[in-house]
Amino acid sequence: MSIERDHHGFDAPVPLGHPARASLPDGQPTGPEVGETLPDFELPDAHGNLVRYHESRGGAKSVVVFYRSAVW
Amino acid sequence: MTEFSAKQNIPFRLLSDLDSEVIRRYGILNDQVGREDAFLEGIPYPGVYVTDEEGVVIAKFFHDSYKERDSPEMLIDAALGRLLLSDDEPSASGGDEEVRISAVVHGGKGTIRQGIRRQLIVRFELGEGVHIYGEPVPEGMIPTSISVSAPPGLVLEDPIYPPTETLRIESMDMELPVWSGTVDIVLPFMAIGELASETRPLDMEHAEIEVGVRYQACDDNSCFPPKTEKLKLHVDLDVIDVPALSTHMGHGQREAEYNGMPHMFRLIRRKARKYPLGMLRLIFKTIRLEWAALRRLR
Repeated sequence: MSIERDHHGFDAPVPLGHPARASLPDGQPTGPEVGETLPDFELPDAHGNLVRYHESRGGAKSVVVFYRSAVW
Repeated sequence: MTEFSAKQNIPFRLLSDLDSEVIRRYGILNDQVGREDAFLEGIPYPGVYVTDEEGVVIAKFFHDSYKERDSPEMLIDAALGRLLLSDDEPSASGGDEEVRISAVVHGGKGTIRQGIRRQLIVRFELGEGVHIYGEPVPEGMIPTSISVSAPPGLVLEDPIYPPTETLRIESMDMELPVWSGTVDIVLPFMAIGELASETRPLDMEHAEIEVGVRYQACDDNSCFPPKTEKLKLHVDLDVIDVPALSTHMGHGQREAEYNGMPHMFRLIRRKARKYPLGMLRLIFKTIRLEWAALRRLR
């Protein structure tokens, strides 16, 4: 695969314009805003156990990271 | 995910949003990527929410490029509402009795890598009754300024200054923006491909950052001579693993130790159930883009 540098100066092992390189467009909303409560959800962890987000925090502060993939 | 967690030494909990249900509900699905893009379909715009004890968002981090991410230290700072500097971060100090100056590379424990944002913190600790100037100040006075020299490919953003206080000088009928006490000026920065490309071995192991500080300190009665200080910092370029896939091999700094292909095949099979032609269309699209790239590179 070709290595190409994008306009931010970043290199990635796929050509420019490839869907794997699709970044946030200008003005695109990015979900809940500061001041809003994060919507609750239930998802399985690495061992298949269901985790309910707000309950799992146990009243603590939290950091929720959305990541693209653990595979590629 | 269990294997990924173990190999990458991830201490926090990983959750799997298999059908992108939460991603969609949050409104952060990357809809430039469709089901015709096979295993790429369903990814979010990567980003981070930091909440308080009630689950209310107190900070969020989303960037123009999916390559750009904040250091974990910045997320902790956001949760705490203050800078939490640590002893294992590179630092240099200078100044004198009235003004102590230090520069710290915050985040990453002294390492940098492509796209991951760190912060250069310039901290002034001012003696009792001593102040330094912000902007604007009248001609002839010295506002506090920071200049940084760093290797090409280390990109610095504009400094973030704390709010100034107003110093009123009655005799001259003048109001001046000043800082006193402990003053932290924050300069976010990151490495781009020119310095730390993640697609080839690194050219160098370290980078030197030189921070120039110019200021004039005064107390209520008089001013000390203007000063210029130079502080030198040293950071290591971090070697990162390429994804553990044969398709990525030869395009990174260090090959991962485990094999990601079985996971990749499972992902492809699962997406193929939704849209059997996806993989074929993604391969054709990739070949077409490859040709265009080769023409550009020639």
